[in-house]
Amino acid sequence: MKEALYLAWRYLAYHRIKTAILVTSITLIVFLPVGLNVLVGQSAAELTARAEATPLLVGAKSSPLELVLNSLYFESDAPELTSYGQVIRVAESGLAEPIPLYVRFRVREHPIVGTTLEYFEFRKLRFAAGRAMAVLGECVVGARLAASLGIGPGDTVTSSPESVFDLAGVYPLRMRVVGVLEPSHTPDDLAVFVDLKTVWIIEGLGHGHQDLAAPEAAAGVLSREKNRITANASVVQYNEITDENIDSFHFHGDLAGHPITALIAVPHSEKSGVLLMGRYQGDDEPSQIVRPIGVMNDLLDTILTIQSYVVAAILIVAVATLATAALVFLLSLRLRRREIETMVKIGGSRLSVAAVLVSEVVVVLVLGVSLAGGLTLLTSRFGSAAIRTFILS
Amino acid sequence: MTAARCLAALVAAAALAGCGEGEPRAVAPSPGAEEVGRLSIFVVNYPLQYFAERIGGEAVEVVFPAPANVDPASWAPDPETVAAYQGADLILLNGAGYAGWVQRVSLPQSRLVDTSGGFRDQFIPLEENVTHSHGPDGAHSHRGFAFTTWLDPGLATLQAQAVRDAFAKARPDQEAAFQQGFETLEADLRHLDQRLSAAAEAIGDAPLLFSHPVYQYLVHRYGLNGRSVHWEPDQPPTEAMWRELEALIADHAAEWMVWEGEPIDATVERLEAMGIGSLVYAPCASAPREGDFLSVMLANAAALDHSIR
Repeated sequence: MKEALYLAWRYLAYHRIKTAILVTSITLIVFLPVGLNVLVGQSAAELTARAEATPLLVGAKSSPLELVLNSLYFESDAPELTSYGQVIRVAESGLAEPIPLYVRFRVREHPIVGTTLEYFEFRKLRFAAGRAMAVLGECVVGARLAASLGIGPGDTVTSSPESVFDLAGVYPLRMRVVGVLEPSHTPDDLAVFVDLKTVWIIEGLGHGHQDLAAPEAAAGVLSREKNRITANASVVQYNEITDENIDSFHFHGDLAGHPITALIAVPHSEKSGVLLMGRYQGDDEPSQIVRPIGVMNDLLDTILTIQSYVVAAILIVAVATLATAALVFLLSLRLRRREIETMVKIGGSRLSVAAVLVSEVVVVLVLGVSLAGGLTLLTSRFGSAAIRTFILS
Repeated sequence: MTAARCLAALVAAAALAGCGEGEPRAVAPSPGAEEVGRLSIFVVNYPLQYFAERIGGEAVEVVFPAPANVDPASWAPDPETVAAYQGADLILLNGAGYAGWVQRVSLPQSRLVDTSGGFRDQFIPLEENVTHSHGPDGAHSHRGFAFTTWLDPGLATLQAQAVRDAFAKARPDQEAAFQQGFETLEADLRHLDQRLSAAAEAIGDAPLLFSHPVYQYLVHRYGLNGRSVHWEPDQPPTEAMWRELEALIADHAAEWMVWEGEPIDATVERLEAMGIGSLVYAPCASAPREGDFLSVMLANAAALDHSIR
């Protein structure tokens, strides 16, 4: 047996190119479905980890998937807006702690996440440098964003208009970076975090301008009747919040009516969560409450259905590849007829010759499957990190 | 208190250390507060500090970082002090628009306690209300409410109740102690209310002048017949202000002007020449130099009573 293996090995080593092609083909054909399965499984786990860590989401009644993708991954367009009144409603219910989210505006392509300080505690985000935002106009940036833009505490970032054609739309607001988060390998790494009120200022719901009663603003005042002052567009509105002008910033209207895209509700107990969900079940209820994990599982079910088609296709290709490999072996037998005859003539039994030939096939198969196993092992070991680094964050 | 909050408290202590006149006078909770498990409480005015200390006793460490010589209503903390507020276990707000800086900073919403949130329907709208327009949104006004709610002992009691409830929620095991602290405070506020009611009865419908429009809740509770001017006790009024006063007393013949602080002699003398006496009723938004909230309020009641009798 040893001799048969030795001869088989020497043959394969001599025909190294043919051997390499066969081994590579078998490796790939074994690895592709198995590795894909592992990778999809890990991606699903990574995706659902953030959804699992987010107990409940409240938003306007629209696509639950859009609500979850926007609120958890800061992807997709802003969903239908709901109001800050929902935050008050959840807080006053005493059933859950609300964490508002307003994810609509961007700094270049990076999302601006308007929220409260509770978000950092909830996501267990820690500061690599600086501190949390303290006053309007301050922001905290994610680790990868800070690295890619080369910014840190003391620098500034500016919000982008929603559209290049939005000439009369939101004012760009220059925001001071006061903190950088440690890497979390989540979408938080690429986000700009500000106080919710700062986003309302970006939107124009709150603003700072000259004191219209002050003499400096006289040029911009059109009329002044008792307690009513009308100003024209020349009144200076501030596009950066500084120590000097922060006192002039104010909000118009009832804050409860101001928009948010969603709120994370962290129930005090399982029972509180169920009770809270029950309060959003009415037909005339304008808001919806979803369990993000349920929405993500629905999405993953769809992805897994597609994956099963892909795996089936790969298996068909695998059968074709194995058939080709078998053909290669059969053809090589025909080409090696004289070599086989020589082995018989010099005393080799037909069994020994068959053992050599079978050993060649087994060695190729073992090598191919072993390499595929190694690659699958590497995928399972480093796949999660790669997904977090290159896909999720 | 978490390690992060403890760190914030230490940062605040460093930032606020060595304060003098005109600088933040209070400091962050002492390191000992953490060891004995005391709640770290930050407040926005002195009455809330007093209520919190009376109700919480040894179980709380109350911090009020506004400088002593600044009106807390118009004071705004620097970012370091805001960071200290962020590290508190509870932040007691007066509500009714008091301390406008709260709207311009980031504070942990789950730890904010709006002590007047339970009686918003009793807020008194301000008469001075400038409406302005400067864009496509049309006219808007920065509508406000009178915010010295604690001058009404009834509302002050409701605020104290809110403080008690917040403490009990944060430390359920100490609820009985908080209730006991609240009950003694409530009794004192009831006594104050009785004193003020007696003074108000003596005053009756007699016209009063107030040097500053901060007494709305006092006037409302006791049905006083008061009108306000906008004078500062430490600044001499201008001639225009005197003329405004003369016009006012023409149809509101007040014999007493109620001041926030001790007025300067020249003003007192000129008022006396007009037949108007001066008395001090301190709103006590900042910590008094002597005594405490209750003693100042009782002194106010006594001043109101004795002067007018």
